[in-house]
Amino acid sequence: MQQTKGQALEVRLSAYIDGEIGEAERTELEALLGRDEDAKALFERLKAGSSFGDTAFEDFLHDPVPLALVRQIKQGPGVNPKTERVTTTTATVRNVRIWPRVLAASVALMLLGGAAGFIVGTANNVAEPTKIAAARGWLDEIADYHRIYSRQKEHLVEAPASEGPKIETWLASSVGVPFKIPQLGGKGLTFEGARLLVANGKPVAQLVYRSTEGEIFAICFLKDTTGPQSGEFDESIRDDLGMVSWQRGGASFVLVGPSAHVGMQDIAETVAAAI
Amino acid sequence: MFHIIPLVPRTANKRTIPHVSFGRAMRPAAETKDFRRDLVSLLPKLRRFAMTLTRNANDADDLVQEACERAITRSHLWNGEGRLESWVYAMTRNLWVDEIRKRKVRTGSGTVDALVQDELSIEPSAEKAVYANQLQKMILSMPEGLASVFLLVNVEGHSYRETADILGIPIGTVMSRLSTARLRLAAMISENTERRA
Repeated sequence: MQQTKGQALEVRLSAYIDGEIGEAERTELEALLGRDEDAKALFERLKAGSSFGDTAFEDFLHDPVPLALVRQIKQGPGVNPKTERVTTTTATVRNVRIWPRVLAASVALMLLGGAAGFIVGTANNVAEPTKIAAARGWLDEIADYHRIYSRQKEHLVEAPASEGPKIETWLASSVGVPFKIPQLGGKGLTFEGARLLVANGKPVAQLVYRSTEGEIFAICFLKDTTGPQSGEFDESIRDDLGMVSWQRGGASFVLVGPSAHVGMQDIAETVAAAI
Repeated sequence: MFHIIPLVPRTANKRTIPHVSFGRAMRPAAETKDFRRDLVSLLPKLRRFAMTLTRNANDADDLVQEACERAITRSHLWNGEGRLESWVYAMTRNLWVDEIRKRKVRTGSGTVDALVQDELSIEPSAEKAVYANQLQKMILSMPEGLASVFLLVNVEGHSYRETADILGIPIGTVMSRLSTARLRLAAMISENTERRA
């Protein structure tokens, strides 16, 4: 709490508005406001200024954040954003026993060597690169689709949101992935409808949403039992689009939206829990 | 009849601002999954804070970029205590003070303290800048130092102590600038009404 006695009245009343003064001063100022019309008028002006300033400053948050800056922070030259964790204090590190780690590292190295030998000795070792390439291709195709369809004003979707139950039946049977249309109103997104796409020769369901600012987001998914199914989120940027992908329940999912949007991961987490 | 509004002592996050989620940025480090992601979430607020320092969109963007680069390279120093934004804000303010100092050396001119500057002044570049919103222009036209204090205390709910620490000024200066800012803003209400008419 601040001591404001002896300061200008506007300073004292300002601190009173912020609750930064002690009980005795608060009582004193309230008594003053009750009997002094000038003090009361000054207090009202201060409050009006606060309210006006609040509104004015909120407008700043609607300004677009420079896209290049978002990309730079998210991806950083030569640094994988996923490995950029906040470090703990060194004191904690010192308390960790070192021998179990050395032992674990030795075992890991031994297993790694064995695995490497096995891979080198095996002729049929092209499955993994193929799978990675395929996964990359799927996301790239989805990004291409999104760029085209998100600009469609009259034909944004194939089936409108009003046909919700029908969409669930249609796409679940077409794609082979049972799902529920996630309601993302809490994230400021309204469901617009759905499309059936084809990527990597497989049917892909696309659920389309529109934000309050008119930006288009899409959730796309296809049947895929080859991935790790770990449910981990992988965030990437393709030019103007941000993508958060994950695999779960025998399907691959991706959320597509503007790369400058700061809440992509949050939306993806909500979708993963609700779909 | 005049009614006294019951006041509650200020807490760190008194207000919430729509459209942007700040929860992640305020979590302690132990709960923070990804520093970069938190930084991106903080960008709209950080840019707004930078605007109050620079009063110029181009300078603000440059400043935000520099502050983010520095925050990433020093993320290991972030101990998770308090609010991430306070740490980044203080870094941003320090960078801006350095920049002003450099400019002062280059051009021989510097900034004028808000308390001794009587007339409203707008930097020439700020005059040229086109802002979509008239209110933003008015805010940025306030003498230097007022908008930052108002933003931190009134809009974002920082305490006087936190604000003083972020801006590197005494608490007494925070208090006087804040009351001045409120009165200036109150005076702008009629100005804004006239412009709309």
